[in-house]
Amino acid sequence: MRLSLNILMRAARALLLVVFAASGTILMVRCAPGYFSDAREMDGLYGQVAQMEMQTKRKTEDSIRETIAKTFQSWARGDFGQSRQYQTPVAGLMASRIPVSVRLLSEGLAFGWLLAISAALPISALRGNHVLWGAPFTLLLSIPTAAMATACIVANAGGPVMVLALVIAARDFKFLRHLLDEAWSASHLLLGRAQGISPPRLFARHILPNIAPRLRALATLSLVTALGALLPVEVIFTVPGVGQLAWSAVMNRDLPVLAAVSVLMAAAVAAAEWMASQSALVEAG
Amino acid sequence: MKRLLPVVLLLLLMLASMVVLRLSPWRYATQDRVSILASSTLTHPAGTDELGRDRLVRAAAALLIGIGGASAAATITILLAAAAGLLAAFSPSWVAAVLLFLSDGFLSLPWLFLLMIVRSMLPLTASPLTTAVITFLVLALLGWPAFARTIFHGARGIRSSEWMIHGRASGLTARQLILVHVFPNLGSLLLPQFFVCIPAFLMAEANLGALGLGVGEPIPSWGAMLLELDNTALLISTRWVFLPIALLVLVLLLLEFLTSEANAHV
Repeated sequence: MRLSLNILMRAARALLLVVFAASGTILMVRCAPGYFSDAREMDGLYGQVAQMEMQTKRKTEDSIRETIAKTFQSWARGDFGQSRQYQTPVAGLMASRIPVSVRLLSEGLAFGWLLAISAALPISALRGNHVLWGAPFTLLLSIPTAAMATACIVANAGGPVMVLALVIAARDFKFLRHLLDEAWSASHLLLGRAQGISPPRLFARHILPNIAPRLRALATLSLVTALGALLPVEVIFTVPGVGQLAWSAVMNRDLPVLAAVSVLMAAAVAAAEWMASQSALVEAG
Repeated sequence: MKRLLPVVLLLLLMLASMVVLRLSPWRYATQDRVSILASSTLTHPAGTDELGRDRLVRAAAALLIGIGGASAAATITILLAAAAGLLAAFSPSWVAAVLLFLSDGFLSLPWLFLLMIVRSMLPLTASPLTTAVITFLVLALLGWPAFARTIFHGARGIRSSEWMIHGRASGLTARQLILVHVFPNLGSLLLPQFFVCIPAFLMAEANLGALGLGVGEPIPSWGAMLLELDNTALLISTRWVFLPIALLVLVLLLLEFLTSEANAHV
């Protein structure tokens, strides 16, 4: 009973965070200078009467509170509105781009984790020189995502998945190495080593169960890192995903698209956090 | 000694940048229209960009603006995070809950996405200096939630320590306790957070600049100078175009070593 209540409370908190992120985005875009400007005002084809009509229509636009309320009401009906920039339904725009970003994210996360684990495991198990073996990852940590993506294009090598994987691997390697170093130096593991138990067995039986909760937290962190890196990667490599859509919405103050992308990103982070905390709660009993 | 080396190297880089800016006859926005996209010459040791501006001077200015702006933003962030963390730790539990929820709210969106939204919502017609100030101010104002929770936990530990209870029992006021006892004890926690902030802000500025949302031209910034790498004709004509990115990576590497050393001493 207590466990389900705890899980329910955490779910409610995650939902509240998503609502907070969406309201914040709507508020910011609604208050941004130029939000009410219409590209048609610059067009000489529109006469004075049409211009005046546009100005009158603008004056009757909703207040901030009404805008937020109306946005949430239409979302509840499954209507994400019409993109100001593309003049098409936001749901349709998102539907075609979400699979592209999800694929890029999953491939980037999978390769990034694989790279980080395959480097961190032998270095910590064999007590290798951290500075020397960790140098490539330290170097990767010092290169901005946008620079890495531009360098790939300039060198005509690698692609968006590689850049995303390298960004994730550089950050995760550091945490994984600390985590594994700490785990390997535990006294019961020293005893196990002295007794001749093989490192793979020690890892599977003793280390993995102990570090599992922290690995889950790291997975959430990886997702946040990947979502952040998705923007420059998709923009620079012109990948038609959600990140590129968000960038274009930001540049054009396209509120319906921006609000929908914010909700999507906040929901992804909240869901990952919730799942990590839920499995920890279930394990704790 | 190991901790001093990155600091010394960073100071040397900054000093060299100042010397370049002082001794060079060019200013960062001055155009030499007879040597556009020039390679390395005696007049322009690192060549010029597509507007004929001296690349060495611009790279030196970008280094100083980047480090100066990121350090200032990091100071504001840490002060805000310390204020929020201390307020949450020394207030009734509902205040702490509200503050921590607020900080989690900020963290529920990816950092770069949040920065991009906020930065783009600001006036598009601002002067270059204003865009530079706005960029670093936005970084500072959005950076605190990531550190507030760490400071909150540190401050809560101090609050329940025996010497704090003794101080309260001795009649010390909240102000005396915070200024004389809590802040000095939080120093060891604040300093590493400050060093973590600087490279994070430099990276964020570079990424924002590469997306066209950073410091406005003609003020040189690492983000804006990254855009030069998009010009294939320029890349073929001179390798000096990589100077700004090489400097940025060097500075970030030095800061990474500094951060690791600072964290190792906590």
